[in-house]
Amino acid sequence: MQINTTIANLKNYKTYLKVEEAVHEFMRKKEYLKVDLPVLSPALIPESYLEVFQTDFTYLEKREKLFLTPSPELFLKRLLVHGVGNCYFLGKAFRNSEPNSERHTPEFKMLEYYKTKSDYMDIADELLELLRFIYIRVNGLSEMERRKKQEIKFQNKKISLSKWEKLTLAQAFQKYAGIKDIELFNDEKFIEKAKVKGYKVDGFTFEDVWSQMYTQEIECHLGMNGYPTMLYDYPKEFAALAKLNKDGKTAQRFEFYIGGVELGDCYTELTDWKEQEDRFNEEYRKRKTSRKIDHPIDKGFIEALQYGLTDCAGIAIGFDRLAMIYANATSLDDLKLINIR
Amino acid sequence: MYVNAGNLKKGDFIRYQNEIWQVQKADFYSPGKGSALMKSKIKNLMSGKNIDYTFKSQENVETLDVESIEMQYLYKDNENLYFMNERTYNQYQVRLSIVGDIASFMKEGTKHFVYLYDDKPLNVRPPLSVKLKVVETEAGIKGDTVTGAKKPATLETGVVVQVPLFVKVGDVISVNPETAQYTGREQ
Repeated sequence: MQINTTIANLKNYKTYLKVEEAVHEFMRKKEYLKVDLPVLSPALIPESYLEVFQTDFTYLEKREKLFLTPSPELFLKRLLVHGVGNCYFLGKAFRNSEPNSERHTPEFKMLEYYKTKSDYMDIADELLELLRFIYIRVNGLSEMERRKKQEIKFQNKKISLSKWEKLTLAQAFQKYAGIKDIELFNDEKFIEKAKVKGYKVDGFTFEDVWSQMYTQEIECHLGMNGYPTMLYDYPKEFAALAKLNKDGKTAQRFEFYIGGVELGDCYTELTDWKEQEDRFNEEYRKRKTSRKIDHPIDKGFIEALQYGLTDCAGIAIGFDRLAMIYANATSLDDLKLINIR
Repeated sequence: MYVNAGNLKKGDFIRYQNEIWQVQKADFYSPGKGSALMKSKIKNLMSGKNIDYTFKSQENVETLDVESIEMQYLYKDNENLYFMNERTYNQYQVRLSIVGDIASFMKEGTKHFVYLYDDKPLNVRPPLSVKLKVVETEAGIKGDTVTGAKKPATLETGVVVQVPLFVKVGDVISVNPETAQYTGREQ
């Protein structure tokens, strides 16, 4: 990697700053507590699909391992248990083993917030309000102008922030990949169908093939039809920390997209700590078998949850990508003044 | 040879669904569930058509052992570009639709690398830069040279590129044929 200085990005960077200020302003207005959090932690929540950065704290002969946090979730949920109420973090997160691309950098800024006594649909409504608020601040519009115009231009597409295009995951698979409900919720039938479509399935898990088909056939259509797309109700296998829906097959999770760019992931939080602990152990085991960095599990987090996580919903948003949309930039490379690539 | 799709990079030749493709772009992508993916853009070297395809990063993909041989570019017609291997005097033709916009930066008589697989030509390797003479551009446009104002210039192959205001007719300039960007002027 090398350090790149790109003064030509100044205009986009100023948009980035406006988006950041707008988020803080909106959150203050909605009475979310802004929380400053560490990014170096001695323990983490085990997550099998992502790799972390590890470093050492040294003092005389002593050494202690510390890890850069891949998300602020472990800290924010502790605070929720302690009754802090609605809160948010806008700061750095780190993910290892995922190389730089137009849409991803190993170090990135994340906006994560939790709303108590709410579910994922409440978050979705408020999120649309946030997107419109950012638009107003970025473009310096008055209240009058705002009513007339709320349209982002991104990569020659106009995207109106007046409403969501709402699609359940099952509807999206039916519409764009011709996968029926019954095939989506049955591993064997799904794999069979994927094979017919020409995907390589031997030696791969259901999740592997599912992610591939999703990326290849679904994702490119999302947020492309004039509105941001909210894709919701994931099969429960794809939303381990989300509350189940009444159908027993899907969980209360949504992701949202603008112009084919995935921007955020929301859950109605699972509040059952036993279920959480089981899931932790499972993820920890998977990390071991896939020879990922062996970090301590944050046991204090589980203890905190035993006191009871209040009913809430939370969302994590890739802040740099969001700013990229408002700046109408094609790549994260075009957003900041100093980039490590 | 088979490789993991996670190792694919721009320029690689692969066999996919029994046809030969060249990788135009390959981005690693971690979807958060299941193994990582390789989002790629690949070009079919028969039809010239580009498609987006997402491989699983652990998926085996057959890469082809392709040679690149320096040849003289002779001429083109509406369909093909014609090359000659100066050692063997064998002639090869590559479809214009495969080479794409780069063809408009190629001057007859210059040397280029042609990719061969089983002695069949697949594509032209784009040079990092080409040197071409300016045959037409407006003289003496006044402008702010500090902020890098540009004007159009027609080069000897007929292609038009944006150049800095100080460039004049008769200058030889270097251009990156893949991006059509001016990179410098010969002294």
